[in-house]
Amino acid sequence: MIVMEHVTKSYAKDKPPALKDVNVDIEAGEFVFCVGHSGSGKSTLIKLLTREILPTDGTIVVAGQDLSQMKNWKVPYLRRNIGCVFQDFKLLPNKTTYENVAFALEVIGRSRHVIRTQVPEVLRLVGLEDKGPSYPDELSGGEQQRVSIARAFVNRPPLLLADEPTGNLDPNTSLGIMSLLSRINKTGTTVLMATHDREMVDSMRRRVIALENGKVIRDQDRGVYGYGD
Amino acid sequence: MAISPGYFLKEAGVSFRRNWVMSLGAIITIFFSLLLVGTFVITGILIQEILASVEEKVMIQVFLKDGYAPEDLDPLQTSLVEDARINSVEYVSKEQALERFKEQTADSPEIVDQLPNNPLPASLEVELVDPEDVEAVVVDIKAHPNFVNLIANPEDPEKDLKYGAEIIDKLFQLTNVVRVVVIVLVAMLVFVSMIFISNTIRLAIYARRKEIAIMRLVGASNWFIRMPFLLEGVMQGLIGAALAIGVVVVMRQWLVPWLSDTLPFLPVTLSAGATAQLGLILAAFGVAIGLIGSIFALRRYLRV
Ligand SMILES: Nc1ncnc2c1ncn2[C@@H]1O[C@H](COP(=O)(O)OP(=O)(O)O)[C@@H](O)[C@H]1O
Ligand SMILES: [Mg+2]
Repeated sequence: MIVMEHVTKSYAKDKPPALKDVNVDIEAGEFVFCVGHSGSGKSTLIKLLTREILPTDGTIVVAGQDLSQMKNWKVPYLRRNIGCVFQDFKLLPNKTTYENVAFALEVIGRSRHVIRTQVPEVLRLVGLEDKGPSYPDELSGGEQQRVSIARAFVNRPPLLLADEPTGNLDPNTSLGIMSLLSRINKTGTTVLMATHDREMVDSMRRRVIALENGKVIRDQDRGVYGYGD
Repeated sequence: MAISPGYFLKEAGVSFRRNWVMSLGAIITIFFSLLLVGTFVITGILIQEILASVEEKVMIQVFLKDGYAPEDLDPLQTSLVEDARINSVEYVSKEQALERFKEQTADSPEIVDQLPNNPLPASLEVELVDPEDVEAVVVDIKAHPNFVNLIANPEDPEKDLKYGAEIIDKLFQLTNVVRVVVIVLVAMLVFVSMIFISNTIRLAIYARRKEIAIMRLVGASNWFIRMPFLLEGVMQGLIGAALAIGVVVVMRQWLVPWLSDTLPFLPVTLSAGATAQLGLILAAFGVAIGLIGSIFALRRYLRV
C-alpha cells in the first residue's frame, strides 16, 4: 500500500532535512503508528503520502502509483483513495454534520443517490446517526473528530491517514476514537496514524514506526511507544 | 461528472453577494468599456453608410470654358475613359446644364427666366471606381497637356475642378482620430475591469479558503475547484455586457430616429441584424473579459 525508499525532504537548504533517508513498507490492511517528538517529521511524512509536498530525494509509491512521476492533474484522483484526519478536525463551521460529510462526495461528483445512501451509513458507523442536523459548534471535540473520520471514510478509501487525531481530546474520548479507527481498519482499510500519545500506543500493541530528527530509529511489530523517553 | 450546474451557479451567486462592492465595480467598468465598444461600432456603421452615400456622389467635375476647342477635349476624354480607376465620363453640355438647373429650381422658374443668356458652363463629370483615388486622378487631370486650354481660369485651376475631397478627407481623418481615442479608452477600461474582476475573485478565493482546502483534501478535481470562480468572472462579464446591450438597444430605438430627423440629408439607419450581431459581439467580449480576469486571479491566488 505504501512504499517509501530513501526518502529525504528538506524544506530549506540551510536547515537540516525534516526527513532523512526514510525507508518504510506498509502492506494493505495494516494498522501502523508513527510516533516521535514534536518536530520529528511525522506530519511531513503524511503530507508526502498525499502529495501535498514532493520529496527532495527518494521514491514514494502509494496504492501502486509513483508519486514523483505523477502528473499534477492526477493528484485529486490519488486523494480520493486516501482519507485524511487531522488534529484540528477541519470541519466547515457553516455546514451541518450531514452536509460536512456529504460535501466530500459532492465535490468529487458523486450522484445524489450515492450521497443519500452513503452519508447516513457512515454516520451510523461512527455513532453519530442522530447528529446529522447539528453544526460543529454544537458538538463535543470527540464528536467533531468522528464527523471528520466519517468524512474521510465516506468514500471507502483503501488508505486512511490520521495526523494526531487524538491530540486535542481527553484520554477517554481518545480511546473511543482509537477503537473507531480500529474498526475501520478491520474493514480492510490500511490505517497510518501519527501520534505522540504514549499510553494509547502502548495499549494497542500495533506496529510502531518511531521517528527522531527525521530518521526512522525503530520499526517494530506489536511495538510500544519507546523506552528512553 | 454527476454534479449539477446548479452547484456552481449557487456558489458563484453566494460569493457574488459576499463581495458585491468589488463585483459592482467590475460590472460597471465592463459595462462602460463595452458601451464604448458598442457606441464605436455603431458610429462606425453609421459613418460607413454616410461615407458610402457620399462616395456615390463623389465625382470630379471639370468645367469647360465657353468656346473651347473640341479637338482639345477629345484626347482628355479618351484618356479618362481608358483610365481603369474611372468608372464613367459624361459630357454635360451648356444646354443640359441649364436643363438640370431648371429642374432644381422648378419652384421658382422666374430665376431662369430672368437670365439673359445661359451662364452655365459645359462640363465633364468623372465618376470614380474607388473614391480614395480622387486626389491621384485630379493630379492626372491637371497634368494633362490640354487641360489648361479647356478651362476658363488656367491661372487658378481649382476654380474649374470640383470634387468632394474636403468632406471625404475630413471624415477619414475624424474616424481615424476617433478610432485611436476609443481603442485607448477601451483598453484602459478593460484593464481596470480586469483588475476589478481579479480582485473580486481573490476575495472570493479568500472567503472560501477553508472549503478549497477540504476540496483539495478529499480529491476534488482542479477544474471543479476553479469552476465557481470562473463562473463568477463570466457572470460579471455577462451582466456588464447585458447592461451595455440594453443601452445600445435603447440608443437604436431613440437616437437613430432622432439623428435621421436632424440630419435628413444623411442616411442614418441601423438594421436589426447589425444590432443583434453587435449584441453577440459585446456578450462575447464580456465573457472574455470575465474569463481572463478570473483566470488571472486563479493563477495568482489559487495554486492547485
Ligand atoms: N512548511 C514548512 N516549512 C519549513 N519547515 C517546515 C515546514 N513544515 C515542517 N517544517 C519543519 O520540519 C520539521 C518536521 O516537522 P513536522 O513534520 O511538522 O514534525 P511533526 O509533525 O513530527 O511535529 C520541523 O523541524 C519543522 O520545523
Ligand atoms: Mg505534526
